[in-house]
Amino acid sequence: MNLLRKTILAGIGVAIVAGFSALGAHSHMLSMSGRKDLSGVKNCWTCHGQPESIDELPWAKPRPHHPAPAGLAVSPDGRRLYVALDDVDEVAVIDAGTRQVVGKAKVAGGPTGLALDPKGTRLFVTCRSGDRVAAIDTATLGEVGSVAVGTGPVGIAFVAAPGGDRLVVANSASDDLSVLAVSPLSNLGHLASGREPYAVTVSPDGARALVVSRMAGVTRGDEVPAAEITVVDPAAIRVVSRERMESGHLSEGICTVPGRPWSLTPILKVRNLVPITHAAQGWVLSAGVALTDHSTGSVVELPLDETNGYYSDPSGIAVDPSAKRAFIASAGANVVTVVDLGKVAAWLATAGEPARKGAIDDLQLSSEFVVARIPTGYNPRQVAMSPDGRTLWVAERLQDSVLAIDIATLKPLGRVALGDGGDSDPIRRGERVFARATTTFQGQFSCRSCHPDGHVDGLQYDFDIDGVGRDILDNRSLQGLAGTEPFKWNGKNPSLRVQCGPRFAKVLTRSDPFSEKDLDDLDSFIFSLPPTRVPSGPWTESQKRGRELFFATQTTDGREIPYGLRCSTCHRPPLFTDRIPADVGTKGPSDSTALFDTPHLLGIAASAPYLHDGRAATLEEIWTVYNGKDQHGITNYMNKIQMNDLIEYLKRL
Amino acid sequence: MRSKALLSTLGAALLLAVPLRALAGVPPAELPFPLIERFEHFGLAQGLPAWKVHCVLADKGKVWAGTTKGLAVLEGGKFTVIGPEQGLSHSVVTTLAIDPSTGDLWAGTLRGLNRISAGKIETFTQTNSGLPNNVVYSVAVGHGAVWAATAAGVGRRDAKSGSWSLYDATNTLMHEPWTYAVTLSPDKLYVGVWAGGIVEQDLARGTWKEYRDPDGEFELDLAPDDGPISDISSWATWEDGILWQASYFGIARYDGTRWKSYLEKKTPLVSNFVNFIAAKGQVAWICTDRGLTVTDGTSWATYKSLEKGGGTLEITRPGAKVETRRMATAASNDFILGASITESEVWLATSHGLTRAVLAGKRGQAAERKTNAQGASR
Repeated sequence: MNLLRKTILAGIGVAIVAGFSALGAHSHMLSMSGRKDLSGVKNCWTCHGQPESIDELPWAKPRPHHPAPAGLAVSPDGRRLYVALDDVDEVAVIDAGTRQVVGKAKVAGGPTGLALDPKGTRLFVTCRSGDRVAAIDTATLGEVGSVAVGTGPVGIAFVAAPGGDRLVVANSASDDLSVLAVSPLSNLGHLASGREPYAVTVSPDGARALVVSRMAGVTRGDEVPAAEITVVDPAAIRVVSRERMESGHLSEGICTVPGRPWSLTPILKVRNLVPITHAAQGWVLSAGVALTDHSTGSVVELPLDETNGYYSDPSGIAVDPSAKRAFIASAGANVVTVVDLGKVAAWLATAGEPARKGAIDDLQLSSEFVVARIPTGYNPRQVAMSPDGRTLWVAERLQDSVLAIDIATLKPLGRVALGDGGDSDPIRRGERVFARATTTFQGQFSCRSCHPDGHVDGLQYDFDIDGVGRDILDNRSLQGLAGTEPFKWNGKNPSLRVQCGPRFAKVLTRSDPFSEKDLDDLDSFIFSLPPTRVPSGPWTESQKRGRELFFATQTTDGREIPYGLRCSTCHRPPLFTDRIPADVGTKGPSDSTALFDTPHLLGIAASAPYLHDGRAATLEEIWTVYNGKDQHGITNYMNKIQMNDLIEYLKRL
Repeated sequence: MRSKALLSTLGAALLLAVPLRALAGVPPAELPFPLIERFEHFGLAQGLPAWKVHCVLADKGKVWAGTTKGLAVLEGGKFTVIGPEQGLSHSVVTTLAIDPSTGDLWAGTLRGLNRISAGKIETFTQTNSGLPNNVVYSVAVGHGAVWAATAAGVGRRDAKSGSWSLYDATNTLMHEPWTYAVTLSPDKLYVGVWAGGIVEQDLARGTWKEYRDPDGEFELDLAPDDGPISDISSWATWEDGILWQASYFGIARYDGTRWKSYLEKKTPLVSNFVNFIAAKGQVAWICTDRGLTVTDGTSWATYKSLEKGGGTLEITRPGAKVETRRMATAASNDFILGASITESEVWLATSHGLTRAVLAGKRGQAAERKTNAQGASR
């Protein structure tokens, strides 16, 4: 047991006996963190206590649900717009002419992605929390079929393949694709994808499905992260190629361009390999669109930002039928960005290789082809084009509405309200704060830019507050965070209000800090995020054996495991953290401290890489590579079967 | 001198012998497998990165060859090489298998297992995954998982969940964890264990069964057909209802009920030292240290090289004398480590180059059967 842990535990004991006062807690916090701006610290348990039950935590309590649009699909005749409402388990039907909701289908399991058959008689719906695809009869709005797919299905596309109709489904949480037969709805195969496959589209000739992954793969050291476009032959159920989008990240949309061998993918260009001090110069995260020429396999990343104006978190994308313009939902900036594809083609025709390679870094370049920015409501995430190319539909996710835009004039035609917008719900308001980029310098990024769905981006950052090149830290998930204070890897922030307060503005957003009200709402939203969903069903034998190892007090050969080196001591249930920093032998040459916060383990399997600086690419590496001296728990006695069992147990938490 | 010349003439006549049955006007019985018409060689000059080829797998117009200096891919007449620089976990590629459901290639090396999918390489090692050990001798795909025989047991990676299960001497009937081969039937897993014969798992029940050589002898087969030929398993392959066990002391054939053993001294098997067996239908292509023998257990064909160039083919039909033919070409080397069979050719991994064996036109074999997804060998 390290000295700090002993000290804290001893201190807690003393405090209990002596009726430790708030003043004492403040004194301790001051000595621990050197901070004078702390509020809300009442006693030791504020930082180091354990909830009696998970049921007490905000994310475990009922919360308001909102008809937030997640996915859009326009019927082939353009008369109907289908809107997936994942939070209320419905698909709404909107009459495109009257812009009125004319029907709703109940679809259990978080309906998210939509795809129609060519006749528009069947609507296929991915159910993200139900791990299935449902088939809806568009005449009756009744569910007529369902099939289990991978975990967390999001994007879906209908492909009229030579061997029969197919559906290609992006399973975001299992990093694979399901290829389905349509009639009957059934699984044909699973294909490996990039990390967190998210959106699917079909090539103009109908022969290929293109799937974009939202996250870059796990990287090491100074390796450039890259997201992937997975090109699938649905007829053969084969991946035919994988295109790399270097530094591409948070790609939530993809479309093809009629008449050109292109696909377009909105991206966040991540420059996590340079210190984040460059935020002040506008050079950490920027918005772009990756143009992949599938005839050559080349990828050119084009900027959507301007020199002093940023349009963060580009998400959904659509191209008009004449292939003249692309429309990109800039979710963090609450605009739709319009790109003239003819001008893009003209620029490409003259651009040499250096210009193409450096395009994403040339923020003046966007003025060559960005022709309009159309204001929208909160958090435009998905867009859909009417078949006649006259109307663009925009899902305003955090406003519970859909905006119709006239393509001829680029002016709004009207808005379809699906709910009241949730203004009275602090969680909804907090999510708006989380998703908007206006609180960062020049609107460069939002909280969501690095924490999509409140989760991780799998990257490491160099925050220059500790000095450039020092204390490089892995991004941590915000899911399941409630009750796990203190925060940060150094465990110095006792609350979210402190974490996201004025100092946060100084070191990260470089702009005015969040207002008190925004901080309250942000607290509500972040603490409402439950841990990442894990597989359900009966425990496997391996998981049961792993549980015994996790709580073991003796090694398999009978030696006692010291209390401070048992898994369950620091990762104590129910949150699997004792909320006390610990030295697990991972201090690196650039680290200022050996003491790092003990993270909770709920949903841990989904947040690779691991350890404070992301050096462990997998759960296994935490112990097989980085625990040579048994400082991170006594584990070196385990054989490979036991190690595998432990990992299986952790995957279940 | 005259007698020497006479003997020489007789020898030549024997080598180029016309079968007696043909002399008698009786056509030879049709063989249950195609014969090799000619051999073509691929070495450094053709772009192969190293002479030693541990394994080979032909699939849909591509030939994958695992060498000591990376994975060579022959496509359109040209080799490209995938090595550590491209992300492969190690340069020595020991075993290959195609996942028939995805087309992904699994490549075992002396440091980990790799999945190659549309050019992307994903590596599984003993430290970053549940793979039992980095030394991978054999890989097979089927029953919703990839199976790897390693120097410390068999690892099973579930295709859907990515979870690993490990089978070794502590939780199965394996005599020891050193496993050399995994092969799958529709309902069984067979593991070739280095000094532990064959271990079988009933995949539905999860139960294990062990097959050991009852006489316990290496060089001798005291009680023929009593079980595996030896406790030493150098390879195992299941195809079309038959499990073939390779050893450095002969081979054995198991049809699910009875074992039958084959030794160099008692059968036309060219050598007891068997590195690998590829099977198609009920025919085994046996890769040894002294050439290639093909058999269904009754008819035999053996290909060997001659020192002066070219080679010989010895055909043994049931009840007939051995027919020996001279061939203008031979395998790149008689030390053959792996084979992969297609409709018209057999690819051979040898200790000195890759060989394409072109099959004669007429198959003379039963209708085509689906080939086991298991690939090539060390």
